Amino acid sequence: MLGVRDLDVFIEASHILRKVTLEVREREVVALVGRNGAGKTTTLRTVMGYRRPTAGAITFRGASIAGLPTHAIAARGIGFSPEDGGVFADLSVAENIEIATWTRPTGRPAAERIALAYEIFPRLRGYGARGGAQLSGGERKMLSIARALALDPDLLVLDEPFEGLSPAVVPVIGEALSAITRLGRGLLIAESNIHHVPAWTNRLYVVERGEIIFAGPLDEAHRDAGVLRVIGGKAS
Amino acid sequence: MQRILNLACGSFYALGAYTGVSAVTWALGHGLPAPLFLLVLVASGLALAVIGPPVERLLRAVYDRDESFQLLLTFALVLMFEDVMRFVWGTAPVQLGNAYLVYGRLAVAGSTVPVYNLVVIAAGGLVALGMGGLLTHTRFGRIVRATAENREMSAALGVDLRRVYARVFTLGVALGTVGGALVIPATAAVNEMAIDVVVEAFAVVVIGGLGSMRGAFVGSLIVGVLKAGAIATWPEVEMLAIYVVVIGVLVLRPAGLFAGAAP
Repeated sequence: MLGVRDLDVFIEASHILRKVTLEVREREVVALVGRNGAGKTTTLRTVMGYRRPTAGAITFRGASIAGLPTHAIAARGIGFSPEDGGVFADLSVAENIEIATWTRPTGRPAAERIALAYEIFPRLRGYGARGGAQLSGGERKMLSIARALALDPDLLVLDEPFEGLSPAVVPVIGEALSAITRLGRGLLIAESNIHHVPAWTNRLYVVERGEIIFAGPLDEAHRDAGVLRVIGGKAS
Repeated sequence: MQRILNLACGSFYALGAYTGVSAVTWALGHGLPAPLFLLVLVASGLALAVIGPPVERLLRAVYDRDESFQLLLTFALVLMFEDVMRFVWGTAPVQLGNAYLVYGRLAVAGSTVPVYNLVVIAAGGLVALGMGGLLTHTRFGRIVRATAENREMSAALGVDLRRVYARVFTLGVALGTVGGALVIPATAAVNEMAIDVVVEAFAVVVIGGLGSMRGAFVGSLIVGVLKAGAIATWPEVEMLAIYVVVIGVLVLRPAGLFAGAAP
């Protein structure tokens, strides 16, 4: 569904991504793991059209999306939740979710898409009229993912969905992501903590200094010496 | 919301004023009943908003650049529009006969006020209410607020930023041109009015706080009352009084009285 091939990205004069290649097939859950500054966010932001690659290809459902403006990429069916959630503080929770149904009409009625978002994150249900600024960190993450889902995308791109959450909230988000997978949507998750990567992840990519140093299933990553050196050798 | 400092908004005001004079003069010459001139003013102001999209297209070149580029480009626009107005309407002030008093005068609190002034005040209130309603109760308004707060996120939710920018800018142009058209019965259109109004508007924005609607409202009241008070008591200090307040605000509350509110 999403194919990234030999992606090179420069920010100012720094070579941030070198020949990054990854793939998310239909209904797959793919994790991009790496330390802070390794290039995870840059990869996701380039997929979303915020950065232009100097070389390489990005395809979605067989068509190139490299160089398209962000809104056009969203319109093709990629939902995005940035690391800080990007919740609109000035809008209510309900408006935050609805906005995605106005900009991208799909075969599914808006009411159904909104209901689905609340179904995945029941905690948001009572908050409709509340302002985006009145939410806790965990609730902002939930709203951000719920909103990406309301876009009715085939693929959700989530930057650090577990970052900064209390241990009590981590399983709530994990369960929601699993429910989203069961709906048949693909997931591309950036994660700096390999222990947060859901067990049902189909494939894992490890990025270090802008290069993919590992690609394979999760249990294999746990045995890979190079991967363990880069991200938390404690795991075994 | 594009985070751009646009001096040329004063030119839209001035163009609205000149066009208003011409439109009303033409309409009255073609047998328009005098009391309907207000409609012609509003219509000519709205029609003039067609210059919004091309000017916005031009300003895109400086959206992501330093404010100094924005000031330079928009000041160049001010000068160019000023020359256009000089070319079309000449250098002498242009006035609208006696339309001002068509609606008569009214005794208010011991003095007589032209009814037209009350109409303009009411129009200002309506525009403020209408803008507030637009921003809080319509999809377009909510998308505008979302985009003003976080444009990258807005784009990721499918919002075409260019289209939103063009529409918001054109709406702003329309407010400027209609505003300019509405003052014209009470005053003459002169070449310098663009600069004058920009200078005043920046005083309003500095006092109220950049990007705050409430700030703009309160700031304009403060500047208006100061101006009127100074003209009535000590006309020489009109500008001085405004800028003493501006400097005071800059020293005590550099971000303005209503800073921090979302744009």
